[in-house]
Amino acid sequence: MSNSKLYKGSLTTIILKLLNENDKMYGYEITQRVKELTKGELKITEGALYPALHKLEAEGLLDVEVAKVDNRLRKYYKLTETGTKETVNKLEELAEYIKTMQALVNPKLA
Amino acid sequence: MKLTKAEIQFIDNYLIKNEVKYWDVRLELLDHIVSAVEDKITNEGVSFNEALLDVHSGFGNQFIEFGVSKDKIFEKGLYQSNTGFKKFIKQKQKEIGRKHRKAYWKTFLPFISSIRFFIELLVLTIVTLIAYQYSIKAGLFVAMSGIIITEFTKLFYGGLKKFKTKSLNMQLAVSSSLLLTQMPYWLIMLFNWHYEGLEMKPYYILFILFALLFVFSRHSLNNFIKIYNIYNERYQLLTT
Repeated sequence: MSNSKLYKGSLTTIILKLLNENDKMYGYEITQRVKELTKGELKITEGALYPALHKLEAEGLLDVEVAKVDNRLRKYYKLTETGTKETVNKLEELAEYIKTMQALVNPKLA
Repeated sequence: MKLTKAEIQFIDNYLIKNEVKYWDVRLELLDHIVSAVEDKITNEGVSFNEALLDVHSGFGNQFIEFGVSKDKIFEKGLYQSNTGFKKFIKQKQKEIGRKHRKAYWKTFLPFISSIRFFIELLVLTIVTLIAYQYSIKAGLFVAMSGIIITEFTKLFYGGLKKFKTKSLNMQLAVSSSLLLTQMPYWLIMLFNWHYEGLEMKPYYILFILFALLFVFSRHSLNNFIKIYNIYNERYQLLTT
């Protein structure tokens, strides 16, 4: 993940949020979607994305579906029921964090 | 621009040369690399070689260009370092282990409280008791066989065909089998050493320990079958 260490702690929340909005996504698609949504500001590296995806899968938050696409297999990730619940928690947590930071950095806006 | 079958095969071979030997690890890397290379060629106008080198370093594989002639940059760049891929495999291995353990304990109680398992354990106990009437050794042999059969089933199916041995998931699913097949033997050795010289040895301890081992071993066979079915299906998809 490039740009800033500040983004690193939010990687799993970003992944969960994207999967919550889309039925299923594959690794490369996630990196491109993040790049597109942040207009290139945030670039998720392969070295950061896959460990996060595998960890979420091991924790039972993500499920995997494999399909054949253009002469190769593609691994799609989708949220499990637990994953959907966890997404809500993680997003609330992140919103709370942003609010707290806002109060510290810019008290007038908070 | 879509890559040709030959170009995809080249990337697959490049991954194998970089010691990504497990097909179930490679499939995800292959799809990512092919997608990224196609994207770079289409949107950035770079060549196949340049795109592949770029993606290679994106995985954390280092490449020192110093002292490498221009015509060798592609070849050297792809095979000089595979540290990123090694890290990828190591991390994946750790998470697969976690996933298997989680699945094992999640289904443990429902399985041991099932009627099916109760019947299996009852049959094994009855046969053990019948054998015990002949001799203690025969009884112990039958009790042990419950564990040995389940573990050998895993080893047999886990190592029978190439796809299973070259799958990281399958390899991890049978990793405990060698230890479990030897456990009864070590338990007997320990028992004999501990009760050496005793005329009436408490053999019931061994029977209890074998029964406990059978519970864990039998349940791990269940999980193994689930993993086997998933990866067998994926391999069929890959080869058709």
